[in-house]
Amino acid sequence: MRKVPKWFSSISVIALVGVMLAGCGGNNANNAETTNNKPANTATNETTNTNTTNDTTNDAATTPDPNAPVDGGTLTIGTFSDIVSVNPIYINDTSSGDIENLINAKLYDLDRQGNLIVEPWSIAAELPQISADGKTYTVKIKSTAKWNDGQPLTADDVIFTYNTVRNPDAGAPGISTVDKVEAINKIDETTIEFKLKQVYAPFQYSLYSSVVPSHILKDVPVKDLKTNAYGVDPAKTVTSGPWKFSEWKQGQYITLEQNPNYWGEKKPHIGKIIYKIYADQNTEVQALIKGDIQMSEAIPVTQIEGVKANDKLQVILEPGPLYEYVQFNFKDENFPDKYSPFKGQKTRQAIAYALNRQGMVDNVLKGTGKLMNSPFLPGSWADPGDQAVNYQYDAEKAKALLAEDGWKPGKDGILEKDGHRFSFELQYNAGNSRREQVAAVIQQNLKDVGIEVTPKGIDFATWIDQNITPGKFPAILLSWSLSNPDPDAESIFSSKYFPPTGQNGGWYKNEAIDALWTKGQLTIDQAERAKVYQEIGKEISIDLPYVFLYQYGLPQVVDASKVKWAEEDAPESSLGYGYLYHAINWWVTE
Amino acid sequence: MTEYLIRRILQSVLVLFLISILTFLMIHAAPGGPTQIFLAPGLSPEAAQIQAHNLGLDRPVPVQYAVWLGNLMQGDLGHTFKNHIPVGDILWPTVKNTMVLMGAAWLFSLLIAVPWGIYNSTSEYGLSDQTASFVSYIGFAMPTFWFGIILQEYFSLKLDWLPLSDMYTMGKEGNLGDLFMHLILPVSVLTLGFLAAYSKYSRASMLEVLSQDYIRTARAKGLKERRVIFRHALRNALIPIITILGLDLPILVSGAALTERVFNWPGMGRLFVDMAVAREYSVLMSITLVVSVIVVLGNLIADILYAIVDPRVQLGSKGGSST
Repeated sequence: MRKVPKWFSSISVIALVGVMLAGCGGNNANNAETTNNKPANTATNETTNTNTTNDTTNDAATTPDPNAPVDGGTLTIGTFSDIVSVNPIYINDTSSGDIENLINAKLYDLDRQGNLIVEPWSIAAELPQISADGKTYTVKIKSTAKWNDGQPLTADDVIFTYNTVRNPDAGAPGISTVDKVEAINKIDETTIEFKLKQVYAPFQYSLYSSVVPSHILKDVPVKDLKTNAYGVDPAKTVTSGPWKFSEWKQGQYITLEQNPNYWGEKKPHIGKIIYKIYADQNTEVQALIKGDIQMSEAIPVTQIEGVKANDKLQVILEPGPLYEYVQFNFKDENFPDKYSPFKGQKTRQAIAYALNRQGMVDNVLKGTGKLMNSPFLPGSWADPGDQAVNYQYDAEKAKALLAEDGWKPGKDGILEKDGHRFSFELQYNAGNSRREQVAAVIQQNLKDVGIEVTPKGIDFATWIDQNITPGKFPAILLSWSLSNPDPDAESIFSSKYFPPTGQNGGWYKNEAIDALWTKGQLTIDQAERAKVYQEIGKEISIDLPYVFLYQYGLPQVVDASKVKWAEEDAPESSLGYGYLYHAINWWVTE
Repeated sequence: MTEYLIRRILQSVLVLFLISILTFLMIHAAPGGPTQIFLAPGLSPEAAQIQAHNLGLDRPVPVQYAVWLGNLMQGDLGHTFKNHIPVGDILWPTVKNTMVLMGAAWLFSLLIAVPWGIYNSTSEYGLSDQTASFVSYIGFAMPTFWFGIILQEYFSLKLDWLPLSDMYTMGKEGNLGDLFMHLILPVSVLTLGFLAAYSKYSRASMLEVLSQDYIRTARAKGLKERRVIFRHALRNALIPIITILGLDLPILVSGAALTERVFNWPGMGRLFVDMAVAREYSVLMSITLVVSVIVVLGNLIADILYAIVDPRVQLGSKGGSST
């Protein structure tokens, strides 16, 4: 079956926050264009190095440095779904996000740990100044920033963008990221002041965002913005990034060309970027092998071996900012016998012990994943590390915990308690082969400890409509995307966010943890804040509203014989859209 | 004849109208509307409501249908929900692309299958006939996408003679030579599928005719075999084939979803699957409509061709008069 687009398999609040806010950031400002001070062997990977060994001769003066960036050339990237609109205000899917990232400059960018930073290609000139009471953020932008039609990019554009997102008539998915904003004031042409209603630490990542041109869009009625040609018609999509949107052949390809009016001090090397849409991922992999495309952001894990066999192709296996989980429902009415079997903490811990998570990573993900024990991305600044409980696969311990919690084997071997059989339906979206396989492993693992699981695949749209949004399911297998690096996840775990308005669809309530999420939002100092999330990581991994399974990703493949980057510009899988991290510094050879 | 045509066309319009109502209801009855897909999860219910209202999705289904039909009457197929692109802009290029692919495959397979079937009917169970049977079995049994992958592996990756996928090489859009190269593999896959059916039909139909008394009479008169086959038998044998071709006409536009997918052909089969997943009602309605029109048209054409090929059939009169 058709592989569902990435967004389909990982809807998320957190991704939402990251909708406008995803992109390529960087950690090193002083790299690249000056090739003479760079040692010849800083190029990226084995293939490049072997290709260049015979070039290390002493006539370097006459032979061009093979590791020096080349300007021009075309990078063709394979993808599996078409874009919707590249208007940053409305981006809600990965393909559109990919393009949006390359054609827009962002106010701020990210380093590899997810810290907000200023890059040569960021619109901002310096990090935001936060007032002593934590409620005012002052942003200064570069006076050199320009739109690709030559108009200057000013404070008016920034203010227009945020006010549009804030306006409910606009229907922007990022609205919840700016709902704490009280007012946005223009101090001068390059200075903007954001006034918040309350202290809200996650707001800093709302500044990791693209800007739309007010001179093009200010006269469009807000409710018509979504149907406006901006973002759909290349000729009308004025942007500020290194490349511009130049052609869209629906269902087939998108072409980006260098922005002739690009204002950044560092210019892109790659002349043209083509996104080619492949309906079938097997065909996409064959196109990589044949050389029709030079990169794929994601190939199926089943194709890894075949791709690795090809010398010129480099596979990047680091997992992305996504994690899969099993969520329990605590509300009795969601079960056929009006009894949620998941209410005992020991029962939930027993399930965590009973699941062979490492086995799932090794066998289903083919090694492209890492165990997760809390809702925070491993390696990020909020990662609680060892503070979170790591449930090692142990069926005996699981059985003991279930017995302690009052479950006794019934006639058919399935556990019972107070006349209720421990049997539940585990839902996932039909057609997602990874979840199909993991659901089967869960079914087997839990059967071993006396719990009956019925996996059920449901059409994605139907599932969201009837089960996820209203919080009507016994248990689900799903994932969250953490493409916004802010660790705050109150809206999926706090009892303030029950359906239909919130996304705590399992009706989980733990007042101590609720209070910690609030504390995290009120703590501006990042080191202090990190401690709050360590505390949450510990508590939540004991109480287990979810069983956190693993961080995962789809392998990125690059034709290393053609696509080059310096080491400090390599892709960063752990960031949203990180497969194009620092693409401005990449180059292609023929 | 004219009266018959008018009657048939009026009937067809009624049928299309009923199909459109039925499709509209079915599409809207499917759980999980477009709002679930393209509105962000986490958007507040009020904001989602505003969006649904702007798109007219909060109106009762009969009202939405009336609006859709009204627009259709003015030649407006509507817009996509998620990015407000006119449906025609998406639909017509894919219809054209699918017709190019399917038309080529259809024509090619007819050119091979019909003469081959006829030849085989004259030498039943000969080498050629047995080969045809074998090819038919393969054509029926082999999954088309799998055959497609094999062809890609060999002719594109290994030998590098032919392009792997797509309709044109990037930058060569509209170049006929380039199109031809891109057609070879998918047309081969589709032809194998068609060949099986059409050669069997032609052979069977021809064999049946050849066993008729008037053929024996013709032969008894001492006519040459060639004349018997082409002059006397062929015209009658073609009648059932025409029926099948008429009924198969819709595949020219509905496309072959799997083949289009494997060869990344930008056609209708792919479009339909994508749009169904995205719940793009206007596009789905338009595709259904286009395919329905072709089905109805195909039947009509088959009937008319009947009358031309078979003098026993007289359109418009109650009960054919036989001579």
